[in-house]
Amino acid sequence: MENRLLALRRQKRLQTLLFVALALAMVIASAVRTEFTPYTVFQGVGEMFRFVVDDFLPPDLSTFRELIGPALDTIYMSYIGMVIGAIVSVVLAFLAAQTTAPHRGVQVATRAFASVMRNIPTLIWAIVLVAAYGLGTLVGTLALIITAIGTLTRAYAEILEEIDMGQVEAVRATGASYFQVLGQAVIPQFFPGFVAWSLYKLELNVRSSTIIGMVGGGGLGFVIQKGLKLFQFKEVSLAVILVLLLVAGTEFVTSKIRERIL
Amino acid sequence: MREMASLLEINELSKVYADGTAALKNVSFSVAPGEFIAIIGPSGAGKSTLLRCINRLVKPSGGAIRFRDIDAAAASRRQVRLLRRQTGMIFQGYNLIQRVTVLRNVLHGRLGYMNAVSGSLGLFSRKDVADAKAILHRLGLTEQMFKRADELSGGQQQRVGIARALSQKPQLILADEPIASLDPVASRTIMEHLSGICREDGITCIVNLHQVAMARDYATRIIGIHKGEVVFDGRPGELSEETIHRIYGAAPDWREQGGESLARA
Ligand SMILES: Nc1ncnc2c1ncn2[C@@H]1O[C@H](COP(=O)(O)OP(=O)(O)OP(=O)(O)O)[C@@H](O)[C@H]1O
Ligand SMILES: [Mg+2]
Repeated sequence: MENRLLALRRQKRLQTLLFVALALAMVIASAVRTEFTPYTVFQGVGEMFRFVVDDFLPPDLSTFRELIGPALDTIYMSYIGMVIGAIVSVVLAFLAAQTTAPHRGVQVATRAFASVMRNIPTLIWAIVLVAAYGLGTLVGTLALIITAIGTLTRAYAEILEEIDMGQVEAVRATGASYFQVLGQAVIPQFFPGFVAWSLYKLELNVRSSTIIGMVGGGGLGFVIQKGLKLFQFKEVSLAVILVLLLVAGTEFVTSKIRERIL
Repeated sequence: MREMASLLEINELSKVYADGTAALKNVSFSVAPGEFIAIIGPSGAGKSTLLRCINRLVKPSGGAIRFRDIDAAAASRRQVRLLRRQTGMIFQGYNLIQRVTVLRNVLHGRLGYMNAVSGSLGLFSRKDVADAKAILHRLGLTEQMFKRADELSGGQQQRVGIARALSQKPQLILADEPIASLDPVASRTIMEHLSGICREDGITCIVNLHQVAMARDYATRIIGIHKGEVVFDGRPGELSEETIHRIYGAAPDWREQGGESLARA
């Protein structure tokens, strides 16, 4: 018995060693393949630093007025993408949550649909949509709505599944109708999670709308991409600063709202 | 005589759950207005199932339940709502909406009387609000009125549970182990409130209890259930030690549950 235990332990140790060796080998192998060495990284950083200082700085503040429009576009896109995404997702979430789904088949289908929406990157959606609708904020907004539906449907459905059915039952037992139970027992429990997730999605939207813009979705991302192509790096750097400000601003506002509500 | 005046009539009621569990077998009894009935029995005897059949949170498999002029077992969706709004329910876990105020929880008792829109949006009338406040005052919760329900102690939450039931202006209150999660002092307070109010307002009450001593102290009538069947139905004075054994079966878990206080009582 003792011996068997010892042997097992030795075997375990061997396995661990083997695993570490393998992991190490993989790190080295991938570093070689991608030509990743501390030296190249260092060299690259120097190069990057020079590029940023020489070509991007100082930002060209005279273009500020021209960037206000695209910056507002980015905000609108993110906001509308979140709002419409949230509205559609609430409906879908009721179909996708185990506790509220009218039928098991509907539940599986809705979940699969949301999963596809979610797992195809926003960028790909944007590229596909540009092909269909041409350049512009419409494409950006649509791409954001699509991924919002993917993410939020699942998130909302999970909130619905965690609802305390005892509370729901108590309200039902007073003689409340379906919609009264929904309004008075389900929504109060659903609301905090709903707000938290929607605000988080808004933050994500502001970030990804830049990338979407770069493939033709409008907003600041589009300005950045255009500037890069035309080597107007000083205008680009102002746009990048604006993106950072937008992201930070959104995070600030959403965290304030969250504090107030939750 | 009693038959004529009964508020609730249960006849040969049975319930078999989807998994084949026979929770109730041929349960029959009738309830006269003003009675305060304690239902006792071991865990799994079918006490909760019985209460939940009465307000149709559970659909009976067989038999008949008549509440006033409503045939509960065969009631339509609309009739079930009518039945439920006249029947308050109190739960072991209180089941208040945690995130909303105490007052709003009490107002939920009015939903069965409201139309779909105002009810869903929670637009309660001034009269309902005034009545709810009066009920809270009666239960000693005036100070707690605007607090969130989850800020209250267990005993206070259960008083809100009673208030919610009262705001329905019910004919009947069903209480499913209302004191099982409370300490002895809070348990007494709840039972005092419940029995006092039911007596004063002429509300009939059926309460599931684990503690035989509590049943003896407050009930006007005790029904003992064992494995889904009624094995005792009588006045508290008629409940002998031997009957208690019969209700709780070979392994009398009532000794732990409150048998000790019974011995003292
Ligand atoms: N939804 C359900 N599906 C299947 N079986 C159930 C369901 N609810 C209850 N049962 C079973 O029915 C029987 C009676 O349950 P019930 O909850 O009515 O007992 P109880 O007397 O209230 O017990 P306790 O004192 O533990 O609350 C038990 O065997 C239980 O496992
Ligand atoms: Mg029970």
